[in-house]
Amino acid sequence: MQGKVNKMNIPLDLLSGVLSFLFTILILSYLIGDNPLFRIATYLFVGIASGYVATVIWWQVLVPRLMTPLLPALNSDSLALKIFVLVPWLGMAFILMKISPRLSGIASLTMAFLVGAGAAVIIAGAVTGTLIPQFEATINFFDRDLAAARNIDFLEVAGNGAIILAGAVTSLVYFHFGARPQADGSMRRFGLIEIIAWVGRIFIGITLGAIFAGVYAAALTALIERISSIFDFITLLRTTFGL
Amino acid sequence: MEIIKCPSCGENNTSDMEFCQNCQARLQPLTGPLKGEDKAIKPGQIPTNKSTAELEPLLPKWLKDARDSARTGEEEKPAQTSSANQMPAQQAAPKKPSAPAGDFLSGLQAQSGDDEDDEVPDWLASITGDTSKPKSAAEETTDTRWVEMGNRNDYAQEDAAADADTPSWLAGLQPLEPHTEEKDELTDWFRTAAEEQKPSYQDPAPIFESPVEQMPPAKPVDDTPDWLRQMAADAEAKLEPVQADVYQDAPEFSLDAPDWLSNLGGAAMESKPESAQPVKQQESTEFPLETPDWLSSLGSVEIESKPEPAQPVEIPLETPDWLSSLGGAEAAQMSEEESVVFAESSLAGSEAEEIPSFDIPDWMKSSADDAKPLQDTTPRWLREESNLAGEPEVPAWLSGTGSFELSSEKAEETPAQSEDSEGIPAWLKAAEPHHFIEETPAAEVGPLQTPSAEEERSRPFNAEPPAFEADPTATEDLFTEMPSWLSDAMEQPSSSTPTAITNTDALSPSELPSWVQAMRPVDASASQPASLSSDQTLESRGALAGLQGVLPAVPGYMPTSKPKAYSIKLTASDEQLAHAEILEQILAAETAPVPLEVFSNLRASRSLRWLISALLLIGTILTVSLRTQIFASPSGVPNEMRNLLFISQSIPDNAPILVAMDYEPSRAGEMQAAAAPLLDNLMLLRAPRLTFIATNETGAILAERLMAGPLAVHNYTDRVSYLNLGYLPGGQLGIRAFAQSPTLAAPLDISLQPAWETPPLEGVIALNQFAAMILITDNAEAARIWIEQTQELRGTMPFIIISSAQAAPMIQPYYNSAQVTGIIPGLQGGAVFEQYNASRPGTARSYWDAYSLGMLLAVVLVFGGGLWSLISGMRERANAGEGK
Amino acid sequence: MRIITAVIAIATGTLILLGYFFEAFTDIQTLLLNWAVILAGVAAIVGIFNLIAVHADKIRRAEKGSVYSALLLIGLVGTLLVGMLLTPRHPVMQLLLNGIILPVEAALMALLAVSLLYAAIRLLRRRTDVMGIVFLLTAIILFLGSATLPFGDMPLFGTLIHPWVTQIWALGGARGILIGVALGTLTTGLRVLFGVDRPYGGN
Repeated sequence: MQGKVNKMNIPLDLLSGVLSFLFTILILSYLIGDNPLFRIATYLFVGIASGYVATVIWWQVLVPRLMTPLLPALNSDSLALKIFVLVPWLGMAFILMKISPRLSGIASLTMAFLVGAGAAVIIAGAVTGTLIPQFEATINFFDRDLAAARNIDFLEVAGNGAIILAGAVTSLVYFHFGARPQADGSMRRFGLIEIIAWVGRIFIGITLGAIFAGVYAAALTALIERISSIFDFITLLRTTFGL
Repeated sequence: MEIIKCPSCGENNTSDMEFCQNCQARLQPLTGPLKGEDKAIKPGQIPTNKSTAELEPLLPKWLKDARDSARTGEEEKPAQTSSANQMPAQQAAPKKPSAPAGDFLSGLQAQSGDDEDDEVPDWLASITGDTSKPKSAAEETTDTRWVEMGNRNDYAQEDAAADADTPSWLAGLQPLEPHTEEKDELTDWFRTAAEEQKPSYQDPAPIFESPVEQMPPAKPVDDTPDWLRQMAADAEAKLEPVQADVYQDAPEFSLDAPDWLSNLGGAAMESKPESAQPVKQQESTEFPLETPDWLSSLGSVEIESKPEPAQPVEIPLETPDWLSSLGGAEAAQMSEEESVVFAESSLAGSEAEEIPSFDIPDWMKSSADDAKPLQDTTPRWLREESNLAGEPEVPAWLSGTGSFELSSEKAEETPAQSEDSEGIPAWLKAAEPHHFIEETPAAEVGPLQTPSAEEERSRPFNAEPPAFEADPTATEDLFTEMPSWLSDAMEQPSSSTPTAITNTDALSPSELPSWVQAMRPVDASASQPASLSSDQTLESRGALAGLQGVLPAVPGYMPTSKPKAYSIKLTASDEQLAHAEILEQILAAETAPVPLEVFSNLRASRSLRWLISALLLIGTILTVSLRTQIFASPSGVPNEMRNLLFISQSIPDNAPILVAMDYEPSRAGEMQAAAAPLLDNLMLLRAPRLTFIATNETGAILAERLMAGPLAVHNYTDRVSYLNLGYLPGGQLGIRAFAQSPTLAAPLDISLQPAWETPPLEGVIALNQFAAMILITDNAEAARIWIEQTQELRGTMPFIIISSAQAAPMIQPYYNSAQVTGIIPGLQGGAVFEQYNASRPGTARSYWDAYSLGMLLAVVLVFGGGLWSLISGMRERANAGEGK
Repeated sequence: MRIITAVIAIATGTLILLGYFFEAFTDIQTLLLNWAVILAGVAAIVGIFNLIAVHADKIRRAEKGSVYSALLLIGLVGTLLVGMLLTPRHPVMQLLLNGIILPVEAALMALLAVSLLYAAIRLLRRRTDVMGIVFLLTAIILFLGSATLPFGDMPLFGTLIHPWVTQIWALGGARGILIGVALGTLTTGLRVLFGVDRPYGGN
């Protein structure tokens, strides 16, 4: 039994390795230049990925959350249960109207529901999860008692806190685009705002530089992983076929 | 209290009585107020003089001119008025209170003195004898007068008998008293016309025999209206050199005998709007011998009806009485009316031909605007009363003069033609050229004599065969050409039973403003707004001379010649051809392919790209293929990882841990390398029950891949030691739902089996019941959402984020704010953590040499390439600046 | 319709928002959120249908590149059929993920490394300003701090400058950006709840 499973896994692993190797080469061929093989790989990938997503939604959303509860709800005497189950069906019917250009307007009912729910969620999340905690964290840099409680040098904390505060404030000001028309017709921000925004530009540059380095690190890791997978496939081939 | 004799029965009535107490005939004119557009004129309402000076600009030019000339001529024509006082002077005496009643021009005399500057029309000026003379400065009363051309006293008649018996419209035509200084010239020329008509009666036109014969013998008395007399005189003067034809004789007949009136056979007439006297009164025996036959033959029916057939009883009171009375014509008198129509038409036509166009008031011209004299002789404002088709489309009461052109030159050159009757009614005959009036002294104007049929036959013009007389079928044709207002009058059912209007309430009020109604001779007020339209062009020539806005076309709009034919072949000069050639060259230069200046840059960029690719691939392939571990693992522990190194100490054994998967397959290598050390450490030390939930579609399978990959050594079993809840849709909505109620948001696992009764989730129904929460994500936005939506629900449990290196900078603030317990940033974090994971080998270490090499390569390339780019860029900008 | 959709959006948002702060609205919040979760999944299906329609139309019109569209549809339909017959957890589906999806995405990500370096090199050629220089200097510092040498961490950069830049200087800018994003989302959400913005359409 164990051997049967291994024999089955080996072909699947081998097939997976072959496909992985093939598609990796096809995509990396773009380093030479755009070519049909690269396009074939990308279009096929988009199709398979979309099909995969549709499959996941079918099995993870529609079946367990819509279809499975339907019959029990219909057979149930509980009106609440029926409403709980049938309302999503109604919403689904509305939103599927979006496929038809003539009936797409009806889909706005469901979209309005989703947008309203999303608006409430982002409001509460932004206030309770970002704004208040981030304000508090910025203020705490200058809390001597807190620094003492953490057994941290206050000057060090306050110094770093000042830089962070300056970075946060100037970055926010940088995104302030209110301007006034000048005598020569150009649009310029208020003088003090302009200076603060210039400082904020430096902080933004640093932050984007850090993100850039992180993106490069992630891409480099992906490159390493792909090269490593190719060698793993070669190793698998060698071990599988005794080369 | 003055006494008014009933024109119908002769009964004396007090002047304040409206109707005769004996026969109920109307004694007072039917008029209405001049002002108050919102008020309709009601029967029996005595009009009051209104100040309508502000309305003066709205008047037709001819009317304004007439008014001006009337004032001007008041001082100029005393002699004429004194000599033409054949009409009883006392006739006007009792009518004075009622005479000023609102006729269709009543109240206009009250205009301001500025109106005196208005230009006097030539024809009016010629009538008065002098157009350049200043108008009389005498104050004019606001009393209404007929045609608004004379003072109220102008109507004073010398003959007291005629005062009572003569119809008011004739009374208004009586010669003015000699002492009257404020008289209007029009009365004079009316009178003159009457005098001039005298000889014409002696030359009866044979073509009008039939109608004339039916008329009673006319008595040439002085009470004949002046204008009739003048018409007669004019006709006589003009007919002599004229060849007799159908139209030539018409003026003669029309001079004194409006046969169309005389043949009405008892139809009551009220020639003046203000004259409410029934026709019977006109037909009274007190009418002297001079009374024309047509007056004598007027029916005894007293009717005051509007010519509109649909409203036989509800007659607009502003309608001239003489016209309104036509509505009482008997249907049996149709044959007579046909003759009348013919007579009137031919007369009008001839008169119109005689009168130069600039002299004829437009509303008079309108009656003769068509080539068919009998069709269009009736003024439009009269013809509109009928339903006859083919009427000229001209302002109603001004009657389609647009197509009729009368030039003075033509009239002078062809005097014979000027005699042709084109249909101007006899009562319009007064509009003859002024020279006729001037040439005829007032003293020579004899009493108006109505010619008998014999006399008419004896006229020299009878030598010419009368066209219409010879045609026995003309009667039928004439009927078709009869003025519509006459046709309507005959068709009016009520006209057959003319009765005196005794009940004023039966009359429906008109909706037209009284001043407009007062200005119109008949129901043609609809044409008046035409002059009020936006097109206020004042017609200076033709039949519409003096009118505003009646012709919408711009002067010169109509093409006068055939459009010029233009060749479609392009003819260009040499200069134009040269310019076209230059333009072609410019366009060719714009569209020609230009060798790309940046082509070398593209080749250079491709070389650079290949160079970068080659360096990265070579370094990675070498380090990976050789499995080198040249570069040391990172020893420095970032602050965000310090708490994680000992996280296993704060988690109890076999504790439920929630692992949220939110990264794409593209980062699977990095994320597995970063997450595996921590999870391996935990599984090794605490054997936690792992529960995976994914917030992207591939997360659930990536979790399976993770468990089946680097963590497979722990032999965790699905639904026993770990559970995969699968995909949680909805993004932040799903995260919030799951944080709020995990059991409701994700009741089933990835195999669609109930999840919350499985061992991995034993004792867990809420988020904060997990021992720890680990988020594996490559997206800072996903991390923010997880942090935000679980902020107050996760309690104090450790919240660890294993992030991609690209997301770590944006998650740092949350670690700084203590919302996140620790962060493992990508491969570097995994490499660090591996060193604290019991020295277990990991993926991160296998990647690290290539990673470090790639980082150093990036430093070299970015730094060196950046400097090169900076210098080259500055050089290019400097060259560009020098070039400029 | 516009009024109805606005009422739905505002009412839904208000009820869910109240659930954050008041215990009494927690249940209704949970109910609405679970409905929203289901409908969000359905909305994703609609997106896939749209993708099918677009590429099917391309094939129907025989436009340039319709062969690639055919490949896309073949892959999509095939995967969907297989996935509906099996389950995402089936080895065949895992094969598709591990053999095609993951390698392609990772390879595309790998290409990004080359593109990023190329862009960084060319940056100062076109834009020589403070922000660009600071951007590149920060990147170089972090590159150095992330790498190690055979004998250990990069001196000064790996142990001092890298943490100081990432945890202090970059943190300041990141916090400013986060607060700005939070304020933006807050404003957007409020505009939706007040009915000023109606991104859901409706006639």
